[in-house]
Amino acid sequence: MKLAIDEYASLNSPFHRWDPRYKLVGLIILIFAFSFIRDLRLLLAMVLVTAAIYIISGLPARFILRWLRFPSFIILVIVLTLPFLSGEQVIASLGPLALRQEGLLAALLIAVRFACIVTVGITLLVGTTHLLNSIKAMRALGLPLIMADMALLTFRYLNELGQDLSLMLTSMRLRGFRQRSLSPAGLRTFAWLSGSLLVRSYERSEWVYRAMILRGYGQSSRPQGEYQARPRDALILGAIVLTAAALVAGDVLLGHNIAAILQ
Amino acid sequence: MHIPDGILPIQVTAAGYAATAAVTWYSLRKIKQKEDPRQDIPKASLMTAAFFVVSLIHIPIPPTSVHLVLNGLMGALLGYYAFPAILIGLFFQAVMFGHGGLTTLGVNAIIMGLPAIIATYIFRLRKIGNQESPRKNGVFGFLSGFVAIGLSVAMFVAILLTSLPADLNAVVEQAAIFALAIAHLPLMLIEGVITAFLVVFLRRVRPTMLDSL
Repeated sequence: MKLAIDEYASLNSPFHRWDPRYKLVGLIILIFAFSFIRDLRLLLAMVLVTAAIYIISGLPARFILRWLRFPSFIILVIVLTLPFLSGEQVIASLGPLALRQEGLLAALLIAVRFACIVTVGITLLVGTTHLLNSIKAMRALGLPLIMADMALLTFRYLNELGQDLSLMLTSMRLRGFRQRSLSPAGLRTFAWLSGSLLVRSYERSEWVYRAMILRGYGQSSRPQGEYQARPRDALILGAIVLTAAALVAGDVLLGHNIAAILQ
Repeated sequence: MHIPDGILPIQVTAAGYAATAAVTWYSLRKIKQKEDPRQDIPKASLMTAAFFVVSLIHIPIPPTSVHLVLNGLMGALLGYYAFPAILIGLFFQAVMFGHGGLTTLGVNAIIMGLPAIIATYIFRLRKIGNQESPRKNGVFGFLSGFVAIGLSVAMFVAILLTSLPADLNAVVEQAAIFALAIAHLPLMLIEGVITAFLVVFLRRVRPTMLDSL
């Protein structure tokens, strides 16, 4: 089980060079501005901003397709059913199914917002930064120490425990375990498998804690001066904030009146 | 059962973050009241990682399959660490697999995490009355898993249907709620049964793990 996701974080682009703290702040502002958008005319602007960020970051198209290729089941259900369930204005009908205008527009809004938020989020958080650096930047921005330590340790052991689970599943299969239907015995086996993994992780954590104490865990305070912001970092953040403000202002001024757009 | 980006309006996502910040603050305050709050961090972290990989296992329910959530068990085993652990797990799920989302991280943490806290208290009820027994552990383990996932489903459906950017008529909405509730009933039973089996297993193999952190 391989969980590597930030293999392109070492490329060289303005977004790769951007201070991770500023990047996080910019990311949060931008994705919340995206989720504020309700006016369909601004969807195009949102798509253009997203495409610009992705192109400048220099990531290959296949990278983001990993997240967008299998959109969430809920998004699929909503986008496929809303056009037939919601709204009054019927624009086409096929037998008992009536395609409704309001539902169709709502589905379009959801699908585009989803794709843009995921693309920008993944690009800035793991596409152009190592995930560990993103967590360190969160710590520098005030994430409580307990949360930061837990996140770093959890991330550190995800791959190892994933490999443990793969091995355990393989040995179960080698011993003849085949689960094709639901049965109490099958559920008990899954419970024992999960329990064994939990016990292993619990026992390993005791050794990890002793090793951490030996290396001085809990003795030093927050590292200072790990990040040095340059004027360029603030400049990029300024551009992102202005873009987000323009999108929000546009949505407020245009009044997101769907009927007016269609006339 | 995570709400993805793009669906919820900003008022709901912002409220989700505010509520998550408040519950996290409360959990951390409780953790810091311990004699050495750092001692249990590696335990909670490695078990968070274990829960994360266990949730990737698919349990077949022909013709489909479900994956375990185990937020009830997390509540039972991790105590006040459960909410921060769920928040961290959801963050990694969002950035690694696109399950859930970044703007909806707060809302999803509330949907999964609040029931886990309730499960902590349900599981502690096993200590009331006579001595602990495997059956009592199993019953309260089942209740923790069943109730936690049930509450999560209820919150998930309520938030999703009231926040869609389109007006569904009342009949469609009721049908959707009913269908979603029925569809999740097998998952609730499976979570309850697996949680029960798990706590009985842990009581036999490593009983100290049941005295939540």
